[in-house]
Amino acid sequence: MKTSIQEIDGKTRVTVQGELDTISSAAFQKEITPLMEKEGVNVELNLGALEYISSKALRVIVSFQQAVVANHGSICITEVSDPVREVLDMTGLSKSFLKLS
Amino acid sequence: MMKTPISARWGILILLAFFGLLIAASTVLAVRISREVSLVKEYDSFMDDLQIIAGVVSDYLDKNDPNSFEFIEVAARIQENEENFSYVLRDTSGIVLAPSFASGKPLKMKNVRMLRDDGTAFMADIWGARCFIVRYAFPDRPLELVGIYDDQYVFSDLRHTVRMFIGIISAVFLVLLAAAWFWIIPALERVLFRKRQAESELQIAYDLQQKAVTKVFPDDNRCQVHAVLQPARLVGGDIYRCRLVGNKLYFAIGDVSDKGMAAAYVMFMLSSVIQSRAGHGDSLCALMREVNELLLDNAEYEMLCTVFLGIIDLDTLEMEYCNAGHTKTILNGSFLDQDPQLVAGVVKEYPYHTQKLRLSPGSRLLLYTDGVTEARDEARAFFGENRLLDWMRAQDPADSCEKTCNELRDTLVAFRGKAEQNDDIAIMCIKI
Repeated sequence: MKTSIQEIDGKTRVTVQGELDTISSAAFQKEITPLMEKEGVNVELNLGALEYISSKALRVIVSFQQAVVANHGSICITEVSDPVREVLDMTGLSKSFLKLS
Repeated sequence: MMKTPISARWGILILLAFFGLLIAASTVLAVRISREVSLVKEYDSFMDDLQIIAGVVSDYLDKNDPNSFEFIEVAARIQENEENFSYVLRDTSGIVLAPSFASGKPLKMKNVRMLRDDGTAFMADIWGARCFIVRYAFPDRPLELVGIYDDQYVFSDLRHTVRMFIGIISAVFLVLLAAAWFWIIPALERVLFRKRQAESELQIAYDLQQKAVTKVFPDDNRCQVHAVLQPARLVGGDIYRCRLVGNKLYFAIGDVSDKGMAAAYVMFMLSSVIQSRAGHGDSLCALMREVNELLLDNAEYEMLCTVFLGIIDLDTLEMEYCNAGHTKTILNGSFLDQDPQLVAGVVKEYPYHTQKLRLSPGSRLLLYTDGVTEARDEARAFFGENRLLDWMRAQDPADSCEKTCNELRDTLVAFRGKAEQNDDIAIMCIKI
């Protein structure tokens, strides 16, 4: 798992690559914690190169979205790989919760 | 609490450093002792030589004319002011002494310091001992007497080293003892305590999981159910329940999105709710919403739960079901038509809805958790939905539910090979 966080034109681009399993999702959570505490941050989440996502990692992303929205920010998923898309569809998150562009 | 492993690590590091120092010091001492011992042996043999030579010289001088021995030296040893002479025959060429008479070995002299300019008195190191050497010239014969004064015996230096070493060892030992008493032992105790605690927590979580799932399955002429649960090394939160109430078969399978004690607790809670609510004839929607609210009420656990709930009316064979983000249930070798709905524990008052389907007699349902489709082989490839569908189609419809569950479990074990099981596996099979 590899995470990169870039500031581009007032937006925060978060890119996650590799596999987000139960163990690496804890590391991912640690990396995004500063963003979760920031006021009014606009996050673009790029999951285009994410090959696997565990249910624990889904929970981390849900918390991420909830925290950012609570701080008057927004999260938009810009890219999503096929296997992750399948999981997001199956869990109903892509339809009812997360914003996909 | 989190400081414990760090201080233990430091403690172990310091312990290792002490042992390293101890080993280094021991090595130095051992080398020194062996060198001194060989030196002492050489010195002893030299002294033995002197005794033998002394006898030989005495006999020689008795039988021969002393005047005929020019260029002959005689050595003597003087101990603690007591004149104790030994004699050795030598070829004299200045102060460098030639091979001794008996052993034939050259006498090694180091650090020679002249005391008289004519060379009749000097200091030198012989066999590691600092010696005071005087040549006596007898007036009536051209013989010289060389006295060796052994004032600093080699052992005195060794004794000093040993004393120093014992001192250092005692100091190190005292420091170690203090460190062990006040620091290392308590730190290790804390680490061990936490480890035992974690292990017992895992055991409790495992027990909870085993107790939370249904053990006795309905099996009569109307329906047959079986399920298996294979927890991964880290106890997860897979769950299944089924209950036959009158002519209605309630069944549920779920996966809590975490591992360990907290997941087991949430799973146990959900399991109890599903079990008890099913018995009261609640509608499926109400039950799913209850599960969702329960997870949100316990938001501090930060858990999601994928759930598939179903009821089959065994008289009409009508099935009502609701899938909250769970894996796709298989009906007779193809996926059941199921609307994707949000996984439980995310949005409050999410409007879960149910779907209905009339089953035909002899239908088989296969429910499972993502531990099945996400099982990985040694090349890290997933088992996947397609392989699962193919497997299900290849099964004999006459097989019992128990056989189907066990065979799928064995298939996954074979598929995994030497790869580790990374998630819980729960499989439930229902036959009408």
